[in-house]
This record gives sequence, structure tokens and C-alpha cells, in this order.
Amino acid sequence: MKYSRVCLCLGLLFSPAVVRAQSANSSDSAELVRALLNRVEQLEKRVAELEGRSGPRAPAAQPAVAPAEPAARAPDTAAAVPNQVAEAPQVHMRHGGMPEMTAPSTHIAGFSDIDFGATNKPGSHSGFNEGQFVLHMSSALSSKVNFFGELSLTARSDAGTGTPAATGFNVEVERSIIQFQENDYFKASFGRYHTPINYWNETFHHGAWLQTTISRPEMVQFGGSFLPIHFVGALVEGAAPAGGMNVNYNFGLGNGRSGVISRAGDWGDINNNRAWLVNLFSRPSALYGLQFGGSVYRDLITPVGPLAGTAFHEWIESAHVVWSKENPEVIAEFANVTHHEAGGSLKSNSQAWYVQTAYRLPRSARLWKPYYRFEYIHIPGSDKLFKAVPSLAGSTVGVRYDISSFAALKFEWRNLRRPGEPWVNGAFAQTSFTF
Amino acid sequence: MRRSTVFSGCCLSALLLLGVTLLAPRTADSATSDVAVVVNSTVPVGDMSFTELRRVFLGERQFWSSSLRISVLLHAPAARERDVLLKTVYEMSEAQLRQHWIGKVFRAEAPSAPQMFFSDEEIVQALAAIPGSIAAVDATHIPRGLRVLKIDGHLPGEAGYRLH
Repeated sequence: MKYSRVCLCLGLLFSPAVVRAQSANSSDSAELVRALLNRVEQLEKRVAELEGRSGPRAPAAQPAVAPAEPAARAPDTAAAVPNQVAEAPQVHMRHGGMPEMTAPSTHIAGFSDIDFGATNKPGSHSGFNEGQFVLHMSSALSSKVNFFGELSLTARSDAGTGTPAATGFNVEVERSIIQFQENDYFKASFGRYHTPINYWNETFHHGAWLQTTISRPEMVQFGGSFLPIHFVGALVEGAAPAGGMNVNYNFGLGNGRSGVISRAGDWGDINNNRAWLVNLFSRPSALYGLQFGGSVYRDLITPVGPLAGTAFHEWIESAHVVWSKENPEVIAEFANVTHHEAGGSLKSNSQAWYVQTAYRLPRSARLWKPYYRFEYIHIPGSDKLFKAVPSLAGSTVGVRYDISSFAALKFEWRNLRRPGEPWVNGAFAQTSFTF
Repeated sequence: MRRSTVFSGCCLSALLLLGVTLLAPRTADSATSDVAVVVNSTVPVGDMSFTELRRVFLGERQFWSSSLRISVLLHAPAARERDVLLKTVYEMSEAQLRQHWIGKVFRAEAPSAPQMFFSDEEIVQALAAIPGSIAAVDATHIPRGLRVLKIDGHLPGEAGYRLH
């Protein structure tokens, strides 16, 4: 080993002398070139042979694809088009708009946030808390079939208590959707969704970084009861240009609320009546950034607990108007929930709404975005199902600072009042990010 | 002495004038500053409205037909083609575009974000290879075999073309 290294060093040391000697003798150098060319040719043959053994190579832009087949149509020559200066390389793929896959291509992304809060609510403590740790998976099973999943891990306040001791985090399958896409007009899916009757619930999901504010509106608070946050069943959805109105629709059929009305019927429906929903919204081409729409949701609720033995028909009507550009950003939503006791005359209407505005400041590299939200919930005393849902009026004012393209800092002041309680003021901070 | 000074001054001025004329940056004509929308040869569309183009690049329209999915290909950040798309089509900043696609995939509205390419060669190769693909490329370097879409009836370089 040592001997070969010495030889190598000597070889390198004397190589300039060898080169000089060769330049002095042209016939020798010509012979060397010929020998080198022969060697290169042999190596090229060897490489080709090895490539042939390991199978055909995928195109550079599309890793993990199967051997190519001719494209469905021959490429058009575009002689009429100016400025065509070079021949495009023709790499053929399988038919169907997507390369044939040898395995599902799964993409995993995540969201998380760390929060700090301090309020003057009696009995509350200030301090940090770990927000949700959310993993999102998307996987193309074929060019028309996709899977989407969302898992959340949420810190538990009862961690370490009980027998066996409660775990530190609660794991929840937030969404699990398998979707078949025929085209833009028709997509069918099955799974667990965020109920598409509320813009916020359907747009930001558990991605705190995606939303402008720290907190969600109370009407769609996770673990809340005012609107059914989750929906287990099937959805048909699609979009049609509709003369520039770009109308989108969702039709859903599912289990609806479970006996505990803040939960979806994951395990199964609590009764033999399926919940259904219709959601329509438009994004007009002429007003890029505008979205407006409305939904209807219907269910039969069979609650457990103090109201066990009774059933309630539930109707929810909701509407939203959104200007999604950030100069300004406006989100306004309204929902009315009607509960009608089955076989009885008791009927109640509860309402919730909020308006949120924000503005991305043009200075400082557009990193600052102040915002304000007013929200209101009215629950009449006659609504037995919403006995545990308090009415609310409150304001949220804050500012978002984008530390990077994928992380934000938010500072928020909240001022809320519930009936029969004093005003509660609180200061909150959050860093939220995607990864 | 004075005559020779004047003569050499004239010569120098003429040379300078010639140099300035030859070396001055030429005013780009409209075709050279335009960005062309090119598609794979399988795409059954030749003309598209600007608003429809926006829907395609936003991922709101995802199919050319039931059998052909749209694959949006984008240049990497800082490429001129991407800047033109951001300014004219998306009307977003780079950060807003990233958030748009992260949100789109997170909402299960799209299986993936557009593929990103770091060179013209890569994007042209992918355009030729992927059925249904669409991208914006420099209007002066359009390889043969790729089709250029008319936007609102206009090709790059024509009056009324909006992508520049």
C-alpha cells in the first residue's frame, strides 16, 4: 500500500517531465492520443452496457417514472410562431398527463406554532404553550386518484394524571380523504373532512401560519360546538367557469354530529339519518381576489348526556364574502343554526358572525400586516343543545410580521365579553411556521 | 499645434460617437421583452383568455380534458419569466405565491405545487416530456416542437399582449 502511494507520488512528480518529453516528440504524442481515444471508446461501450443492464433511465425532470412510451400525439411544428430557435428535446412519457408511477409519491409537510398568553380572566395563568403540531400528507396514487391526510398532536392539560397516566399529547386524525378527480367539473371523495360550510374552517384548517391572526373565530373554534367542525362521509365537488363567475360546488353526505355534538361521527352515525350539505361559492374572474358563497347543512342530532332521549333537527345556513388580496384583506362570515326538537314545538335560532380586516403594509419589504376582527355569537336561552355554548362579543387587534417566507410572528390583544361575566382582556404572542 | 489638437479632438469625438452608437444598449422591442406561454404538443388549446390563463396558473383549473391533467411548470425565483407571471398573472409577491401553493395543497385542492426548474433547458425539456404541461418562457427562445398559446388572441410581440 505504502509502496503504491510512493509510486503514485513519483508518477505525479515526474508527469510534467513526461509531458514535456512528449511534446518534444510529436509522433509519440499522436500515438498517445490514439491510445487514449481507444480507451475512451472502450469505456463508453462499457458505460452503455452497464446502463442497458440497469434498465432505461427516467427523464431528468421526472424522477421515479416507468419506461417511456410514445406520446399520444406527434408534436406540432410551430412554423407560424416567431422566435423558435432550437429543437425541443422529445422525451416521451406514458399516456394520461402524468408519468406512470412505480410507487405512490407521498409528500409530507407540517405546521406548528408556539404561543404565549396572559389574560386577566380569574383563575388563568400566563405562560407559554405548545400549539398544535400538524403533519399533512398528500399522495398521488395515480393521475386521477389522490390521498390527503392531516394529523394533529395537541398538548393535553391532564398529561400524567389518571391511571394509566394520560399521555402528553392528543393525536387526532383531522382529515383523511381519498379523492377521485374525473375533471374540473367532477371530483368525488370519501373520508373525514373539515365541514365545507365555513370559509375559515375550509381554508386554513390547522395551519396557524396560513391564517393572519393567532386565534380562529369562536364560531369555528376547534373543540367548539357552534358549527360541526368535522364531517365523515362522502363529498362530490367541482367547479365550472359559468361565464366568468367560476362557480364551485360541494355536495356532501355523511354521519353528522355524534352524541357529543362537538365531535363528528367517526366511529359511526348515532342514528339512521345522514347529514347532508350543499355549498356553493363563486370567484368572479372580473374581480380577482373576491369570493362569496353560501351553504346549507341538515342533520338529525341525537345527543347523549342530560338531553339523552330527545332528538333535534338541525339546519345551518351560512354565507361568506372574502377579499383575499392583502391590500386590504377582508373576511366576513355569518351562520344561523336552527334547532327544532323532533316531535316537539321547541325551536331556536342561534347566530354567529365575524368581520376581519387586515392590510399588508407596503413598506419594510411588506413584512408587517396589522389586523382587526370583531366577532359576535348569540345563543338564545331556548336553545337546549347550545346550553354550553356561551354568547360572545369581542374584538381582536394585532399585527403579523413575516420573519421568512415560511414563518411568522404575531402579537394580538383580545377584548371579549360573555353574558354575566366581566370583560376579559388578554395579550397573546405566537410564532407559527410551516416546514 | 492648434489645428492638430482640433483634428485629434474631432477624431476622438467621432470615435466616441461611433462607440456609443455601437455599444449602447439597444431598446428592446416588444417581442424581446414578452414572455410566451408555451404548452406541450398534447394540449388541445391554441388560444386562451387571460382570466382562464390565471385560473390555470393558480391551480383552479387542473384539467385540459378528462384524460389530460394540467401540469404547471415554473422557473425558480428571480427568473424573469417568474417575475412576469407574478406581476401580471398572479398579482402576488414571491412570498404570497409560496403561501398560495402551500395552502392549495394543504386544502386538498391540488395534489402538488408546480414543479420548479432552474434553467431554460430544464423547463423546455420538461415541457416536451410532460403531456399537458404549460410554462412561461422567454419569447425569444422558444424551441421548435412546443406550441405558443395566444392570450386573448395575441401572440408575443403583438399589440395587446399582456405578459411582459
